[in-house]
Amino acid sequence: MAKKQVKRKATEFIEKKKVKDIDIKSTEEDEGLQEDLLQNISNEDNDSSDDEGAAKAYQSDDSDELEFESDEEGNYTSKWDANVPSENSDDDDEEASGEEEEINESDIEDISGEEEADDNDDDDDDEDGISDEEPISSKESNIKVSSNNKEIKKTKRAEKNKPNDLNTAKKALEAQNAKTNESLNNLKNELNDKEQIAAAPANKAEYEDSDTSDEEDIRNTVGNIPMHWYDEYKHIGYDWDAKKIIKPPKGDQIDDFLRKIEDPDFWRSVKDPQTGQEVVLTDADIELIKRINSSRVPNPEHNEYEPWIEWFTSEVERMPIKNVPDHKRSFLPSSSERKKVSRMVHALKMGWMKTMDEVEREKKAARGPKFYMLWETDTSREQMRRIHDPVSAPKRDLPGHAESYNPPPEYLFDEKEQREWLKLKDEPYKRKLHFMPQKYKSLREVPAYPRYIRERFMRCLDLYLCPRARRTKLNIDAEYLIPKLPSPRDLQPFPTVESLVYRGHTDLVRTVSVEPKGEYIVSGSDDKTVKIWEIATGRCIRTIETDDVVRCVAWCPNAKLSVIAVATGNRLLLINPKVGDKLIVKKTDDLLAETPQVDTMESERIKTAVQWSVAEKEEQEKGVRIVITHFKPIQQVTWHGRGDYVATVMPEGANRSALIHQLSKRRSQIPFSKSKGLIQCVLFHPIKPCLFVATQHNVRIYDLVKQELIKKLLTNSKWISGMSIHPKGDNLLVSTYDKKMLWFDLDLSTKPYQTLRLHKNAVRSVAFHLRYPLFASASDDLSVIVSHGMVYNDLLQNPLIVPVKKLQTHEAREEFGILDVVWHPIQPWVFSSGADATIRLYT
Amino acid sequence: MEAENGEGQVQVRLKTKQEQYAVPDVPYTIEGNVTTADLNTFVNTLLEQAAISSGESNSPIEFDFIVIDEYLRGRLCDHLREKEISFEDTVDIEYVERFPAPEPQDCLLHDDWVSAVKACDKWILTGCYDNTINIWTVKGKHVLTIPGHTQPLKAVAWVSVDDESGKFVSCSQDQTAMLWEWRVGTNSVECVSVCKGHERGIDCVDVSPDKSRFATGSWDTMLKIWSAEINEGGEGTSKRAKESGTTRVPRITLQGHRESISSVQWMDSSTLLTSSWDHTLKIWDLHLEGIKSEISANKSIFDASYSNLNHLIVTASADKNLRLYDPRTNQGNLVRNTYFGHSQWVQTVMWSTTEEYLFISGSYDNQNKLWDYRSPKAPLYDLLGHGDKVLDIDWSNPKYIVSGGADNTVRVFKSRKAVPSERMDEDK
Repeated sequence: MAKKQVKRKATEFIEKKKVKDIDIKSTEEDEGLQEDLLQNISNEDNDSSDDEGAAKAYQSDDSDELEFESDEEGNYTSKWDANVPSENSDDDDEEASGEEEEINESDIEDISGEEEADDNDDDDDDEDGISDEEPISSKESNIKVSSNNKEIKKTKRAEKNKPNDLNTAKKALEAQNAKTNESLNNLKNELNDKEQIAAAPANKAEYEDSDTSDEEDIRNTVGNIPMHWYDEYKHIGYDWDAKKIIKPPKGDQIDDFLRKIEDPDFWRSVKDPQTGQEVVLTDADIELIKRINSSRVPNPEHNEYEPWIEWFTSEVERMPIKNVPDHKRSFLPSSSERKKVSRMVHALKMGWMKTMDEVEREKKAARGPKFYMLWETDTSREQMRRIHDPVSAPKRDLPGHAESYNPPPEYLFDEKEQREWLKLKDEPYKRKLHFMPQKYKSLREVPAYPRYIRERFMRCLDLYLCPRARRTKLNIDAEYLIPKLPSPRDLQPFPTVESLVYRGHTDLVRTVSVEPKGEYIVSGSDDKTVKIWEIATGRCIRTIETDDVVRCVAWCPNAKLSVIAVATGNRLLLINPKVGDKLIVKKTDDLLAETPQVDTMESERIKTAVQWSVAEKEEQEKGVRIVITHFKPIQQVTWHGRGDYVATVMPEGANRSALIHQLSKRRSQIPFSKSKGLIQCVLFHPIKPCLFVATQHNVRIYDLVKQELIKKLLTNSKWISGMSIHPKGDNLLVSTYDKKMLWFDLDLSTKPYQTLRLHKNAVRSVAFHLRYPLFASASDDLSVIVSHGMVYNDLLQNPLIVPVKKLQTHEAREEFGILDVVWHPIQPWVFSSGADATIRLYT
Repeated sequence: MEAENGEGQVQVRLKTKQEQYAVPDVPYTIEGNVTTADLNTFVNTLLEQAAISSGESNSPIEFDFIVIDEYLRGRLCDHLREKEISFEDTVDIEYVERFPAPEPQDCLLHDDWVSAVKACDKWILTGCYDNTINIWTVKGKHVLTIPGHTQPLKAVAWVSVDDESGKFVSCSQDQTAMLWEWRVGTNSVECVSVCKGHERGIDCVDVSPDKSRFATGSWDTMLKIWSAEINEGGEGTSKRAKESGTTRVPRITLQGHRESISSVQWMDSSTLLTSSWDHTLKIWDLHLEGIKSEISANKSIFDASYSNLNHLIVTASADKNLRLYDPRTNQGNLVRNTYFGHSQWVQTVMWSTTEEYLFISGSYDNQNKLWDYRSPKAPLYDLLGHGDKVLDIDWSNPKYIVSGGADNTVRVFKSRKAVPSERMDEDK
């Protein structure tokens, strides 16, 4: 209720505002229209009774419930109201809207008061509304109407018999103006109503039940038949009482003329074809006809220039219409909508849903002409090839001399050949010729060729059935098959030239080893000496004489120790070279001098194999600190990376051929109880506690902690000479006396990843560089071959092996060439020791 | 065809900076296949003509010809072709009086390899592999043998020399450097102090320009700066030092190289140049006590020398070549020039202290070579004489080129250019 009032007030406000606006505007234009309206009003005066009815009809609009209802409903209610006895309806209304009305009344009074105050300007207002076409909401007008109705009611109650009151007429007019959507039918109904009211106000009850105007006056009960059927009769159908309706006497033309002169209503009398009676048209009828003839709207009350009702205002209001603040929800994006949208987006993405465009396109495609591939298989590649690139049928051999009708005599079969030919009757394909050459005197005498049809047929069969595929010839460049190797130029640095020759040994130098810091090297020779050299100058700093041929020397890889292990004959000497940092030298001496307590009892097997002893005084002066005497000649010695363990190999030691000595505890171990073959060399894994053991044919990898075999690498070679492990520990190089080098990728397989056949003679030694991706191999063919061996961190990428340089400066001495090769620990320099008693440095 | 055979003619304009040998500045058309000898004759003829006209007589002078910043060696046409110079253009040829060939003057015999030599005005200091230091006069007379080190000497350097006394440093593989004072009059030598601190053999030493400090580089990758004063620090310490045999500790220790430092040189009083086996040259600022700049090569550097005259660095390395670097450029890694000529590992190199363009090098191919840095293809002179590897070379005294080698000798070559001045000195 309050809301409505607010609305009403708002609209009133708008109206007032408009009115004011209009007032401000000059109303000169409107004067002409004013006259029109006055005319209308005067016209309206005639139908004042109608106005009353209309006013009545709008009574129901007063109720608030109907305020927003459509006009048509309003009309309906008006009709219903019209059918209800007027007194009752009034009472009902009053009863129904008891309090409301009072409230309304107050509003109405306000308005009406205002109206009354502006009475003189009222017309102007309306006109302005029309002329300006300022939209006034229908609500407003309804309200007005209802208010007016109230007014009307009041006035009715007060003075019911004053239909000509100008005020009421005006109000009625307004009410009628408010009727916007009245159809012609309704109009007609109303007109009929009016007619009825006019014609038979007393019979109102008689037509109470009737709804349609068609049945309004059926006094003739003949039905809906062509009336000319009654042409021959004197009557025309029957009335309600089943009595004949007698045709009125049909006068002649003179009668007509007379009537025309005499009867003032002649011009408005019409013959009713249904009954044949004369009907005198009322003024209203005539008016209607006139309006129709002049092609105007038949209903005179219809206003063509009704003001435009703006249902929804186009103006942006400064103040909110409602007083309630916006709900919090209205600021938040709707989560359900978001879900819905996201579901739709997902569906669009997944293709479950299609956009309008897509649907349209599909529809279009579906609508469009469809083509069907009748011979679908014909488009296959082979079929198309037959069309575009046909393989011609094989050509037939040209006829030879033997086929001539007059072949040279040598082509003619002699008896033997003939016999042979005939003999192969059952296997004709074995014949050299499928016919027998024959000689004719002339071409004329040649008979018909008996095999002609058959041969044609066979040829056709051949063409038809023989599959002719084009064999694609592979066009591969030989160069393409060669793997792309980087140019050695890009793989620098690597040693390229011989820089220094270390001379001093008198017999073949079997072995060299470099100090971990890279300042000195040690070499062992068959002249029973060990020499220590300064790398940079080639000066022999110290020579240590031993009792036997030096088979192997190994500088301890731990830079904190100054120890060289020298394998000479049966003895392993641990020598302090006394070069480098004095502190370390002294520390090493101290360390080697003290004998740790041996707690564990060593087994007989070890005791008989190895004996530890401190060097004699004579040897002490040379630098020898500890002597480990083995029971068989030592072939090889190798250090563990941390420099505490040293492994020795005695190939003749049978099942005790490999030994591991621990320096700090002065202890020896025999890791293998059984030997799987003649052990050639052993090697510690740089990181893991693993030992590589090379027999003549295979390399076995043992886990020293678990004491078990991890892997067996199959070299497929006759005699392994040496091994070297990549500093990362995943790749192993094996050199063999049968001219090969084998690269094992330990992760990959137990078979060699690559077999390098670079040397022409037995490969004696291989070595990986600790830092650079380089490895070198030394061979009896007097050459050191330096190769680039890049191991990638990426497990998927195989190592890259590129031989980059062949260094060949050693001199030949008997059948031996180069015996050992080692890398400088830091620089890309390689040392090789040869049978020519020299050590050479390549940089 | 003509160009290929070198038959074409070239227009040349002869120029010189030595006014007394100037020839008329007109273009001459000469055969393309002329060599230095031909040009020499040509210029001498021109000079002779000029001399005759002026009524003087001149003995022929040997010239060297510089064509487009490089010495002409071989035929002119080949040179031009290599430089991609059109034969049509007029070629400017600058000629300079040829640097006279150094003459072998002396051979100083030692008992072992001579690994370090240093000359001053009158004396030559040598370090020997038999752990001794020797002092010789420049005339070749042995003055003194000083034992003291326990391992082979690696480097020696004069700190200061005057008529009464001399002071010098010696470095050895026994991880010590020794500072000596030598009294000329009594010919007695005293070890002022033993510098201990390096953990491995000391390889190189150089004395600062103000003679107050010296720097040593060692195999333990450290660069250490020591005081070269006789009395280091206060009285108390010196007393204690005298009692305990005068041990000295480094003033500054600089760490930065990853491998052995092969040479050290003072560029000025606060800047040091070091070269190392780790393929780098480093320039150290002693005020910052850090690295100022670094030049990385791709080979180990065995010796580097910086010239105060032309501010360039020349390095020696194992691949037979000498390389020229410019420490001033931003692209320090760029080799400005490479000098081919040695057939072996080049152990030592040194700039002339007086001649802007000259430097000498000693190699394991038993040769010393005298180079002009404008002549990368061939050295000016090969200084033969050594029978084994040359281990150290010195040209501190501009009159003498001194080199020590593995043949147990020190060879002294007299640089003839300096002869006149020497004579003048003698005249005085």
